[in-house]
Amino acid sequence: MKTLRYIAMTAFSLCLAAAAGAHHSAVQFDFGKQVQYTGVVKEFSAINLHMRMSIELKNAGGAGTHIVKFEGHSTNNMYRAGYRKGMVQAGQTVTVNAAPYRDGTEGGYVIAVTLADGTFFGMKGRAQDAQRTGDEVRRQAEGR
Amino acid sequence: MGQTGKVGKTVIGAALALAAGLCLAAETPDFTGVWTNAGGPGIGGATATNANAATLLKPEAKARIDAYQKLVAKTGDTPGGWCLGTGMPGSMLGSGGYPMEIIQRPEQITVIYEAHSETRRIYFGSRNAPEADRVPGRNGYSSGRWEGDTLVVETNNLVDQIDQRTTSHSDQATIVERYSLDGKDAQGRRILKAEMTMTDPVFYTAPVKLTKRWAEVPNGRVLPYECPEEMWNDHLAKLANEAGVPVP
Repeated sequence: MKTLRYIAMTAFSLCLAAAAGAHHSAVQFDFGKQVQYTGVVKEFSAINLHMRMSIELKNAGGAGTHIVKFEGHSTNNMYRAGYRKGMVQAGQTVTVNAAPYRDGTEGGYVIAVTLADGTFFGMKGRAQDAQRTGDEVRRQAEGR
Repeated sequence: MGQTGKVGKTVIGAALALAAGLCLAAETPDFTGVWTNAGGPGIGGATATNANAATLLKPEAKARIDAYQKLVAKTGDTPGGWCLGTGMPGSMLGSGGYPMEIIQRPEQITVIYEAHSETRRIYFGSRNAPEADRVPGRNGYSSGRWEGDTLVVETNNLVDQIDQRTTSHSDQATIVERYSLDGKDAQGRRILKAEMTMTDPVFYTAPVKLTKRWAEVPNGRVLPYECPEEMWNDHLAKLANEAGVPVP
């Protein structure tokens, strides 16, 4: 039993380490593409090095929901792109434009956010801006 | 000449020297302000003014860089991704998107790069630390002087930085930057130009030369940048999970 618990704890720790490491690079995102999701904000935090956000989406079949996670720009870049403190709250409906994960995982790197009342922050959100945004992020936040 | 005459001459001489010093000080341009990229090719608008640095690499240095890049290629890891400052010359060459603030005093110029809140202090004259007291680091130790309207900054005491994006170097590297105002852009913003020469006999067959330009941001502000917030939150979540409690 103790061995099983040890294995489980070790595996959990490794997962956490892998998850933490994954947050430090933008290499897993395809900045040449853009996906769009509309859902309800579950969590949002404007932090550095990357903002974090999760939204609740309706399942494709129509019944039930699931949670999709995102990361994105530094707080600094978000402020320069129009974000202000308190702009995004849990429970709000938002549309998120993101650079998708290369491996097909739902979610991605947030390029722009549009709230239900039309409030917008982010890069322009056009597909042609996504590559520029990604390049800039990599240059500025991850070693230039 | 009597004692009074000598004293008088000394006082006049000192006054003239002071006046000359003040005039010279007044003639130096003031770079104080917040600066963003002026655009252009290369890293944040930096342009190689001689051959690309990669073409000047010595074989053994290229082998080290290739090994490093192979190591991080899969994950895309960079020092910045782990909240380590870029270091010179990347901190200077890459500044602008995350802006740069210059605070200028006669004895010291302080440069703050918003990304990672990297700070360089450029000391003048007697404000300089003795050589033995200079601490090696990623941004090295910088001393400055004025040559007319040009600020010349010499940087040494750098550490080996194989992880620089395009300007890797050894701990033997020295960097000279020559800063000058370069007119105004179409929006009327002052343009600041830096001509950089990095000499590193361990890594390069010839000095690496780059020119970078910034445009002034009127009434600009540099924002705080606490890089490791995300890692700290992850760590707290891990501690809470191990303790079987929610994150307070």
